[in-house]
Amino acid sequence: MEQLVQSTLAAPEGDLSFFALFWQAHLVVQLVMVGLMFASVWCWAIIVDKMLLYARIRRQMNRFETVFWSGQSLEDLYGTLQNRKNSSMAALFVAAMREWKRSHEGARPAVASLQQRIDRVMDVTIQREAERLESRLLVLASVGSAAPFIGLFGTVWGIMTAFQAIANAESTNLAVVAPGIAEALFATALGLLAAIPAVIAYNKFAGDVGKAVARMEGFADEFSAILSRQIDQGL
Amino acid sequence: MRVGLFASLAGHSAVLVWGLIAFPDATTFAPTTVDPLPVELVPISELTRLQRGEETAEEIRDVAALQPSEAPEQDAPEPAEQPAERQVEQPTPPAPTPVPEPEPVAEPEPAPAPEPEPVAAPEPAAEPAAQPEPEPIITQARPRSKPTPPRRTADATPDNFNPNQISALLNKVEPTGGRTAPSDQPASLGARDGQDSVQMTQSELDALRGQVAQCWSPPVGAVGAEDLRVRVRVNLAQSGEVAGSPEVLNTNSNPAFRAAASSAVRAVMRCAPYSLPIAKYDSWQEVIINFDPREMLGG
Repeated sequence: MEQLVQSTLAAPEGDLSFFALFWQAHLVVQLVMVGLMFASVWCWAIIVDKMLLYARIRRQMNRFETVFWSGQSLEDLYGTLQNRKNSSMAALFVAAMREWKRSHEGARPAVASLQQRIDRVMDVTIQREAERLESRLLVLASVGSAAPFIGLFGTVWGIMTAFQAIANAESTNLAVVAPGIAEALFATALGLLAAIPAVIAYNKFAGDVGKAVARMEGFADEFSAILSRQIDQGL
Repeated sequence: MRVGLFASLAGHSAVLVWGLIAFPDATTFAPTTVDPLPVELVPISELTRLQRGEETAEEIRDVAALQPSEAPEQDAPEPAEQPAERQVEQPTPPAPTPVPEPEPVAEPEPAPAPEPEPVAAPEPAAEPAAQPEPEPIITQARPRSKPTPPRRTADATPDNFNPNQISALLNKVEPTGGRTAPSDQPASLGARDGQDSVQMTQSELDALRGQVAQCWSPPVGAVGAEDLRVRVRVNLAQSGEVAGSPEVLNTNSNPAFRAAASSAVRAVMRCAPYSLPIAKYDSWQEVIINFDPREMLGG
């Protein structure tokens, strides 16, 4: 009886503020929490970055397509774009035009397999662009899948220590059990906090990348058809 | 990338700051200490099955229980004035006053106890109160009025709350309440419709079951007949006849259930009247019978 009263008195007072939850936790749990915090920061950095990038790419594509189909001479377009730092469709166009130009330089134009070369150049460019779009998306994927487990690990560890506290207190009074479990669950909460946006953003961005690449491939095919016609007419 | 990183850092720190503001040691709950209560498991029948009493029985009261309640009545009126004053006087002032008084007390006493002399000199006031012995001696001397009353006044003065009196009340009630178990005590006042501390025995229940089962044709052919359990509540008259119509208590999705239920009801009706001990009518006035084909079908 006396023991019980003492143990309940000795039970830590539940303080549920963020810092209290953090500082009361075991070292391992603290490490887990810090790691998850970093993961969350990094994920959101990537998310913001990718959102801006994809919006920019979409805008560039739209602008380029309107210019491209406006009937402007391809030579002029190439002239203006040539010296810029291009991306997506413009890069595709410049790469194809450069190959075209090079093949027509000199006394003997190398037209025989020009079509294949242009296709290959455009393929490589698409790949390079897709790579740029997809970079760091895997971080989101792995954080999304691993963060809950990491948080769970922290929780399990915290509950282990909580159980040890219970064993020391020799009482299963909820007041003895609750604070330890609460701070342990905080780790899972952080894991989910990091994982949920990461998963959602990864799925959305994967879709965006797929759409952008498909759009570039469509443009490449069309442009390839135009060039092929030019080549055949030139023969 | 740098933009994203800064935005992310800013967002996280904003959330943290918000968290600190919104939950500033928000719910500091102090665990309330709950003292463990000893729990004793008591079968409910001990409380609900009251022994039937006899109206002619004498009311039995515990003599010991009455004493505390009556004792104060005799003494209270007399010492009411004096003891209250005495009580107050004793502890504080009188080093000098009691000293002369107990001396006569001490003188006749020395034979039984040599102690009183030294003790009486420093603080005699407490001792005479505590010991019953001085009483006969005191009757001769004047101060005698002091030692006798203070003992009883302690009990008598606080009329409002006296634990002894409460226990006396409780004790008075007890014998009229009756208990289930012991019958070696004389019959006492009891609950009007209490039972004779009897219950249907297992063999009597079996007998009832056997009577019903004779008339029951279980639904042998039905699909899933083994699951067709039927619970029937039967009201029985004192003669053993079925009063009213038996009521089927459960339902079942099995299409054959209706037939099974009606067969069970028919069985109950057909076998009436039942021969059951009339003395225990209270316990079989309303009977719930389980018709379980599994038992009948040799399950």
